[in-house]
Amino acid sequence: MRYVLRRLGFFVATLWTAMTVNFFLPRLMPGNPAIAMMARFHGKLNGQALRAMEVAFGVNAQESLLAQYFAYLRNSAVGHFGTSLTFFPQPVSGVVLGALPWTLGLVGVTTVIAFFLGTLIGMVGAWERGGWFDSILPPVFIVLSAFPYFWIALVSILIFSISLGWLPLGFAYTNGARISLSWPFIGDVLVHAILPGVTIVITSIGGWILTMRNNMIMTLAEDYVRMARAKGLSPLRIMIDYAGRNAILPNLSGFGMSLGFVVSGAILVEYVFSYPGVGYMMLQAVLNEDYPLMQTLFLIITLAVLLAILAVDAITVLLDPRTAAAS
Amino acid sequence: MARTHWTISLIAGLGLAAGVSPLASVSAAAAGGGEGGTLTISDAQFLWSCGFSPYNPQSNFLSVGVIYETLMFVNTLQNAKVTPWLATSYAWSDDNKVLTFTIRKGVKWTDGQPLTAADIVFTFNLLKKFPALDLNTVWAALSSVAQKGDDQVVMTFNAPSVPYFYYIADQVGIVPEHIWANVKNPVTYADAKPVGTGPFTIERCTPQNVSYVKNPDYWQPGLPKISRIEYPAFTTNPPANAILSTGGAQWGGQFIPNLKAEYLSKSRDNHYWFPPVVNVAIFINQTNPLLKDVAVRRAMAFAIDRGRVAEIGEYGYEPAANQAGIVTPTFASWLDAAELKAAGYTYDPKKAIAILEQAGYKRGPDGVFASPSGKRLSFTIINQSAYTDWVAALQVVSQELAQAGIELHVQNLAGDDYSAKLYNGNFDLAYAYESGGPTPYYEFRQWLYGPASAPIGKSAATNWERYSNKETDALIERYAQTTSASEQQEIMNKLENVLLQDVPLIPVTEQVDWDEYSTGEFVGWPTPADPYAQPFGGYTFPDWEIVVLRLQKK
Repeated sequence: MRYVLRRLGFFVATLWTAMTVNFFLPRLMPGNPAIAMMARFHGKLNGQALRAMEVAFGVNAQESLLAQYFAYLRNSAVGHFGTSLTFFPQPVSGVVLGALPWTLGLVGVTTVIAFFLGTLIGMVGAWERGGWFDSILPPVFIVLSAFPYFWIALVSILIFSISLGWLPLGFAYTNGARISLSWPFIGDVLVHAILPGVTIVITSIGGWILTMRNNMIMTLAEDYVRMARAKGLSPLRIMIDYAGRNAILPNLSGFGMSLGFVVSGAILVEYVFSYPGVGYMMLQAVLNEDYPLMQTLFLIITLAVLLAILAVDAITVLLDPRTAAAS
Repeated sequence: MARTHWTISLIAGLGLAAGVSPLASVSAAAAGGGEGGTLTISDAQFLWSCGFSPYNPQSNFLSVGVIYETLMFVNTLQNAKVTPWLATSYAWSDDNKVLTFTIRKGVKWTDGQPLTAADIVFTFNLLKKFPALDLNTVWAALSSVAQKGDDQVVMTFNAPSVPYFYYIADQVGIVPEHIWANVKNPVTYADAKPVGTGPFTIERCTPQNVSYVKNPDYWQPGLPKISRIEYPAFTTNPPANAILSTGGAQWGGQFIPNLKAEYLSKSRDNHYWFPPVVNVAIFINQTNPLLKDVAVRRAMAFAIDRGRVAEIGEYGYEPAANQAGIVTPTFASWLDAAELKAAGYTYDPKKAIAILEQAGYKRGPDGVFASPSGKRLSFTIINQSAYTDWVAALQVVSQELAQAGIELHVQNLAGDDYSAKLYNGNFDLAYAYESGGPTPYYEFRQWLYGPASAPIGKSAATNWERYSNKETDALIERYAQTTSASEQQEIMNKLENVLLQDVPLIPVTEQVDWDEYSTGEFVGWPTPADPYAQPFGGYTFPDWEIVVLRLQKK
């Protein structure tokens, strides 16, 4: 019980700190939202539009920073996130809800796939270390994960979309399609997700393989594994239940963290593939000094990461009771 | 990030105002020609918000013209030629203080209701009531808008305001009173399902794409010929360029660095046209103690080889500018060529050095001139780091100035940082351009009009260099009072002379409309031989409405 309470206290303190930083940091940037908008449309907008936008965005509203800060804390608590300035006059909640499913679908699913696949490859690789499987797959993926993501993405667009014409070169679905829960549309979305999805998996899988393989080799040398072999248990059971279960623990906390970060999207992925997700939105929010949108996105990320850590802590206790006892 | 230029949509005209025949053909709807087809536009750098308010600067280019039409169309590329649109004619009173429009009959909103003069009166009074919607501050000049008789709208100005014709007739999208009167707060009204009079309506919109479908009851018979428009939201240039060059999109407005290899060579149907519309200039802060000396400003104007900057920085796609500030060939008829020649501003570093020496500047051991009181001629120029062509151009400029003994530090800044410094006047020199208009006057007013500026540290909407000269202000005000072409020309000659003699800024290259188009599926595009509208795909409003009305299947 004490353990749980302490984790919760830590959770609240971290949340408050992060929210405070979220509020003050963006306001240290030069300019204001109206000027950022003029920068975005430089030369396209008559200079006089600056005055109109200052009125629309309430830039010159005289309210002290501290008063704004408390209003922000209050509004965040009750879920009032205000109006986005980048997507003016849409409410922030609508903008984020429109983008979040795409990111959760793409980045969430690929993170889970990369974790399971990477852990599996690392486990099997360590079990049969020195064999052909171990000599090919882990090194290949580790080398791939060392490449910059955008380079892999652009090269695969060049090969599979432009030269071969097999896959669409961007977007989440065919332009002009009606968004619906019908099979043709779902198929369309899946086809559009192949290229970004596969590039995410092959560039992120290396890390999982490496840690899993190393941990696995350590645990395989433990006495209880030798004991299991001596008992004549099946190799599969030894690999998964005895060695794998213990080797996966460090990977699991890493997995929790990356699940938390799924909601921050993958800025590069969404940027390169014109994917209408949260990552690209965050980039736009920062560039346009869209405080309400920025604050909301950072709040969601903070919350997701903290909740993921909390969940991982709980799972670790289940898998390895020593963690709770020792603390 | 490659750069997209949002040039100038705000262009247009007065000048040749006077009389427009009410019978003038509204648009050249060629008889025959194929109907149908989907036009795809490739260029955008953000996700759509799916709002179409014509008064929201982030989305008005999606709706003004193609959905919400304007009273007249003023063509920048044909010397502010006026084409009647929702209004069939207009007339200025003798003192140029009252402007009367006659509204076209038989135009319907897409919900079936007729367009009336009351809609126009409502639209303008909406801008008065909500200044946040008045993007061109037309109510700075207007005093009242009222209906007269059945089909006339009378606009009364505080003072003669001839140039405002362009903003009022060409830039304000007209909205239906029966819908907008019920909108509680038009400032935060997204307008997801716009009802306009235009040739297209929104079929559906997602953050990734806007689909337009033709309005079957459009008031111009037989138009539009194309049946759909898709406007996808690309987040970055390479895929937009790829779709454009492979024919997936037929119209683009982006900067493609290696145009020949990346675009023209991919298909014989791929074409481009880059008409220049405003100047990219070095804005000189008039409050800087060293730059206050006109000798320093003139020396800089002589020391820059504009042709070389255009060739290296802009791949030759943007022409070199001239010190008279008139964009050629677009506005060539306004240029006082004799004065420009007499002033002599061709590239001449020796002359630049001579001017500085004559004014008492002495070259130091490091080759940089110093003022008689010992201050070195060393300046910083602010620039947009995202515009890679500008970064390259300024490298050339700084090398050239160094040869004339002037040191230049280039400060490449992120967009908002750059803009904050530019508007607040926190710079020595700034590389920038103004939005311009359908005649050179608009750009000159934005450059030079003192009352539109602001003290250093306060944001100035225009006149960022803080130029202040009572005589110039009087010239700019006098221009607004006349519809006489010869008087306007005479005033413009004097304003050009201000640029030549006083050098408040140095035009370096001419900003163009980036325009790539494919004749594979559609024909009827604007070309140098037929510059019937500004071609910048999907951004220049209401011009792109005019273009999609001309397009037809090959």
